Order: sequence, then C-alpha cells, then structure tokens
Amino acid sequence: MEFNEKQTAVAEMDPQAVASTTPELINGSHAVIQALIHEGVETIFGYPGGAIMPVYDAIYDYQDRVNHILVRHEQGASHAAEGFARTTGKVGVCLATSGPGATNLVTGIADAIIDSTPMVCIVGQVAASLLGTDAFQETDIIGITIPITKWNYQITRADEIPEIMAKAFYIAKSGRPGPVLIDITKNAQNELLSKPFNYKKCEKLLSYHPRLAPKADQIQVAAKLINEAKKPFLFFGHGVNIAKAEEELLQFIEKTDVPAASTLLGLSSVSVDHPNYVGWLGMHGNYGTNVLTNQCDVIIAVGMRFDDRVTGDLSRYARQAKVVHIEIDPAEINKIMKTEAPVVGDAKIVLQQLLPLVNKNDHSEWRSEFKKYEQEEFEKITTPELSGDTEKIKMAEVIRKLSDKTNGEAIMVADVGQHQMMTARYYQFKKANSFITSGGLGTMGYALPAAFGAKVGAPDREVVAIIGDGCFQMTLQELGTIAQSGLPVKIIILNNNYLGMVRQWQQLFFEKRYSFVELQNPDFITIAKGFGIDGHTCANREDLQASIDTMIASDKPYLLEVLVEKEENVFPMVPTGASVSEIRLE
Amino acid sequence: MTTYTICVFTENTFGILNKITTILTRRRINIESLTVSETERKGISRFTIVIHHDSREAVEKLVRQIRKVIEVLAVFGYLNEDIAFNEIALFKIPTPIDAKPIDIETINKVHKAWVVYWHLNYVIIQKTGSEEEIFEFFDYIKPHGILEFVRSGRVAVSKSPQTLVDYLPEANWEYIQ
Ligand SMILES: Cc1ncc(C[n+]2csc(CCOP(=O)(O)OP(=O)(O)O)c2C)c(N)n1
Ligand SMILES: [Mg+2]
Repeated sequence: MEFNEKQTAVAEMDPQAVASTTPELINGSHAVIQALIHEGVETIFGYPGGAIMPVYDAIYDYQDRVNHILVRHEQGASHAAEGFARTTGKVGVCLATSGPGATNLVTGIADAIIDSTPMVCIVGQVAASLLGTDAFQETDIIGITIPITKWNYQITRADEIPEIMAKAFYIAKSGRPGPVLIDITKNAQNELLSKPFNYKKCEKLLSYHPRLAPKADQIQVAAKLINEAKKPFLFFGHGVNIAKAEEELLQFIEKTDVPAASTLLGLSSVSVDHPNYVGWLGMHGNYGTNVLTNQCDVIIAVGMRFDDRVTGDLSRYARQAKVVHIEIDPAEINKIMKTEAPVVGDAKIVLQQLLPLVNKNDHSEWRSEFKKYEQEEFEKITTPELSGDTEKIKMAEVIRKLSDKTNGEAIMVADVGQHQMMTARYYQFKKANSFITSGGLGTMGYALPAAFGAKVGAPDREVVAIIGDGCFQMTLQELGTIAQSGLPVKIIILNNNYLGMVRQWQQLFFEKRYSFVELQNPDFITIAKGFGIDGHTCANREDLQASIDTMIASDKPYLLEVLVEKEENVFPMVPTGASVSEIRLE
Repeated sequence: MTTYTICVFTENTFGILNKITTILTRRRINIESLTVSETERKGISRFTIVIHHDSREAVEKLVRQIRKVIEVLAVFGYLNEDIAFNEIALFKIPTPIDAKPIDIETINKVHKAWVVYWHLNYVIIQKTGSEEEIFEFFDYIKPHGILEFVRSGRVAVSKSPQTLVDYLPEANWEYIQ
C-alpha cells in the first residue's frame, strides 16, 4: 500500500506577465511598494509603527499610485482587506508594524484562511540582528501564523523582496485562495537591493500546483452518477463565487433540472427567484433543504466543504446518498463526507466540462417535494416573522424591507449572530457576489470593516452592513476610517440589547439561565455623530420604511439603529448534535 | 494501532519542521519518531515521521493536509511492509571492575551490535536494527545497567521502484555532491 498525494502540474500562465526593471538601486521598502504596483494593487489597508516605518516612508512617494487607507485598528485592516477581496476577487493587502500590529491582524488572518479569502499581510519586524533577543515589539509572528496562513515567510534581506512578494501573491490568489503573511525585518526594508529591481510575476512553483482542470475519468464517473440519479440534490458553496462559476452553475442546474441549495457563503450565487433554487442549508437554513438532504440519492456538492454547521450530526447525515464532490482542495475530499465521485478542480472549469456530459432532465416531481416543506415553513415561521403584528419590530421585517428597497441587489455584509442568520434568511438575493459574512470563523466585529473594504472594492454598488449591538462594539472604531474616506457605507444596527444568539442558546439549551448576555448599550447615534457620521434610531414600525429610505438615499456613510424585539429566536434550527432531519420549527 | 511511516519531501527552507509538526499537533497525533536530512538532491529535505494510528482514513487525511504546506513537494504514507527501514540506538553501559564483564562476542555475533567507544568505566554500544531488535538488545543488556540510551528514529526508503524524480519529472535537481 502506498498513497501518494502528488498532483500533476497545471500552471496558470499569465501571458501578460512582464518583467520590469528599474535601473537605479532602490531600497527594500521601495521594492515592496513597487512589487505591489506590479501586482496591480491599488489599495492597501494599514496602520504604521516603528518596525514598518521605512515602508511607510516609501509609500509617501507613491500616493498617486497606491491608495493607502489608514484604519483604526489592525483587525479592521484585516477584515477590510477580506471584504475588499470578497467583492473584487483580488488579493486584499494589509500593512502593519511588528509585535502588537502583527498580532492584531491574527483574527482576520484566521478568518481569511477558513473562508478561503486571498490576502497578503505585510508586517514589519525588528532588524535581523535583533531577532530572538526580545527586542522592542519583537513577536514571532511567523510562529504564530503558521497554522492560519496558506504560506508565510520572513524576509531578512532586501534582495529577497521581489521574488517573495511575487510568490506571496501567486499563492494567495491561486488554487484555494488564502492569506499569506510576509514578515520583513527592518534592515531588509532599509538596505539597498544589490541589483536593479526586477519583478517577475510568479506563475508556477515546483512544490505547489493547484489542479484547475479535473481529471477526465473523475468527470466521467461524476457524470454517470448524476445521470443515473433519481433524486439528485445540488449544494453550492463559496467555491462557486471564488471561481466566478455562477453562470456555469446556472447552466448546469437548468440542464439537469436539479434542485439547488446554498451554504451560508454560497448565498447570492443563484438568485432566490430561480425555480430550481430551494433555499439554504444547515443549522438555520431552510426546512425542506435540511429534511430532504436525508432523502436525496445523489448529492452534487460544488465548492463547499460539509462544515458541521451544514451537516449537523454526521452519523445521521445523508447516509443514503452518494456524493459527487467538486472541489479545488484535494484535502477536502473525503475529509468529512465519503465521496463516491470526487472531482478535484476549479468549479468553473469542472462545470464547463461536466455540462456536455450530463443529460437534460426533468426533475420537477422531485423538486415539488420541496414545496410542501416550503409551505409549512412559510406558514409557521416566515409569515409570522414578517407579519408586523408584534409590538416591537422584528429583525426579519427590517431585512425584508431593505431587500425590497434595494431590489435584492445590494451587497449585504452581515456580522455574527441572530442578525446574520436573519440577513441570510430574509434578504432576497438576486445578484451574484452580494453576500459577505464571516462563515467559518464566526468573527464578531467582522462586518463594519468588511463592509468598508467591500465598498472600496465595489464603489458603485450599494453596500449595507447588518450588525448586532454586540458585534458593533467590537470594531466600532472603524467608523473613523469610514468617515475619513467619506465612502457611503450604510450601516444598520439591529439592537436587541442582547448577545442574542448566545441568549437564544441559553434559552433553548440552558434553561433560560441568561449568563452575561444582556448589554447596556451606549447611544449609538451619538457615537456615530461623534465620528461625523449621520444616523437615526428607528423605534417603531411606522418609521421603519422612511428610515430605510433615508439611509439608502444618503450619499454619505449612514448609521441606522433599529430597536428590535429583545428575545426573538432564529428558526428553523438544527440543534447541535441533532440530525438535519430533526430540524426544529419552534 | 498500526505503525505508519510518513515520508515528506520538502524544499530545504526555514521553519518547515514547524509547519509540518503543527499539522500533527492540531490533530493530536503523537510523533513516535522524526528524522530529517537532506536527500540525494540538493536543497531537498526528507522528513521521516513515524506515527501509530488506528485509522488508516485519518492517516490519509493527515497526508493530504501535510501536502498542503506550500514547501512540501510530495508526501507518502507507508505501512511497514512497503518500506525498508532501520534505526540506530546507542547504549552507554557501565563496566565497573567488580561486575560481570560484557560479552562482546554475543553482542557482536548474536545482536549485531558494536562497541564504538571504550571508557575505563563504561562502553558505548551501537545497535542498528528494527525497533524490535533494538528492544531485544535492550532486554539483553539491561542486567548490566544502562546509563544512557538513545534511538535515532526511523529512516526508511520505499520498496517501490519509483523515486522522487519520477513523481516530480519537471524538477531538475543536482545531486548534493
Ligand atoms: C469574537 C467573538 N466572540 C464571541 C462570539 C460568540 N458569539 C456568537 S454570536 C454572539 C452574540 C452576538 O451579539 P449581537 O452582535 O448583539 O448579535 P445578535 O445575536 O443579538 O443579533 C456571540 C457572543 C463570536 N462569535 N465571536
Ligand atoms: Mg444583539
């Protein structure tokens, strides 16, 4: 027996790649910025400090070419870079100093690796001669970030900069994207390169070659399984968005006529209006999608990884189904779900190749099975949530009104908690690439900086952050960044005076023993105004539509606080340890 | 529990050991032994990691995770039957004047072990072999007392005719010397 994990090399060739040379010798800091320019980076989210000052000094000369945005906390830089990367598909870039600057990036880096977000973090480090001496602001950030980066590297000589920067960008964005951290000692920033700056983009590495085009035999096996299926069920995840495979997915769904459900991060890749779209999966997903997971005969998983929030109790998850798993990361194959037909490759290319091999089909009868669950969910949950007959406003109403107001075409950036799940449930996504949230890590405080980064990346789109009162207080200082930029990021705080999601669990699973979940909140509008951002508190239903209209009409950043029902719960819910078919409606 | 030998070929750069061990640590897989050396090819290191595990599936997953480390060129997981393997152990054995002298002939002929250093008060014996053979010798020599004992950890080469160069034909490495 021998198992080999070596894959065949498939390099992404960029015919545009140009070598560039500057005749005079430049220092490491200038080399860093020039490398960024060669990589097409226009925006950097950063925060200065001692060990990165030479790079900041260099940026001063390039302000016409790179837009450096000064955040208020390095965590903000990391999430802003993520938001930027998620909307643009480009690599988000962060710059920070050594020690605390670098450690403040850690949460964002951990978030980016688990949500496959391309990011390059450049951090300063003490001079190479001081490494290991506990010098001022020396932290072993390489050691700290090994488990949470796709790659990291410490540069100690200026001459390494062009090659390592090129490698960093290639690794961050190719294959399954992820964060890369480059730690540059101060001497390397200061010293001159020994030869003229010469930048060659990295297109291939001997030790790393993501497979983009699938193996023909894998495609064949998958097509056969799909064609023979009586009750096929397609799950799509973040991979579809990353691969920009929305169009191919649509063609595939329409030809095969399979019902299609989304993971949290897959949301918006298929319009909610599409007749084959049956909802989303997992803990707070829809009723039918969860129940029928245990009744389908073939699962076609595209760019998703069977996260435990999707599967519930694995031992009772889709045991009857055969699995076709289309996935770029071979380590995801058979990691959670036994897979009969693995297809390793880029979702776009795989779907393109699969399309001619799958039969045109009619699964309307099978798809109609979802209807009765939809109906029940509608009656028991959706309708009451939206009915507007409670005293206090419900989160669902706010989201649905916003959805209507923006035609389901805004970029929604949700933080973490009940408001996040409500955004996923009640916003009716009609346009691809429109949902940004911290899925894998569930990082509270993500949304405000991520929404800012998203707006920087997509200035022409409406960007609305949906944030809980708890989450907001984790990164609210980024209001300063937003105000300074003047970008019209729209912010909604759904204020229930609780760490609502935790409170819900305490209510349902801990006998309502509310342990440290109630919040005494500040006056959020006064805070916003203190930052120079206009805002309004909406306390009653009559005012809701007008409040949303005002917010959307504003051409400046705007904060809308909505006082919502304090103790509402998110349903449906698959309690931890339960099977997806045991999903609760109340 | 089955013994698995995982051979990892990497570029010889800084910090790779850390990058690999953290993958095992995170999954609470204990390393029984670990050896690292440069291969026959310049700039390529070889890690030989021995683990015990009761799930082949878990080991396969581990192999795939190690493969994700950017500097890793290839990873192979082997059962004992797939490889030729060996280790070296060194024993420091006391030889006081009044004690029964050590039986060099048995040590050499039966146990294929050699005295590599003579001191007035002790000898250092080198024993090469499998883990079992080393522990057989351990049991044999124990009555003399053992001042120090160290094992090198396993080195292993696959019995398959294929070599790293077959797996990575695009590479064009020189021999180290
Ligand atoms: C950094 C971090 N700390 C703690 C948690 C655990 N957690 C998940 S949701 C939540 C409550 C969020 O409260 P709030 O922002 O008010 O949102 P709500 O659920 O009330 O809508 C907490 C504490 C987390 N996900 N992230
Ligand atoms: Mg709250």
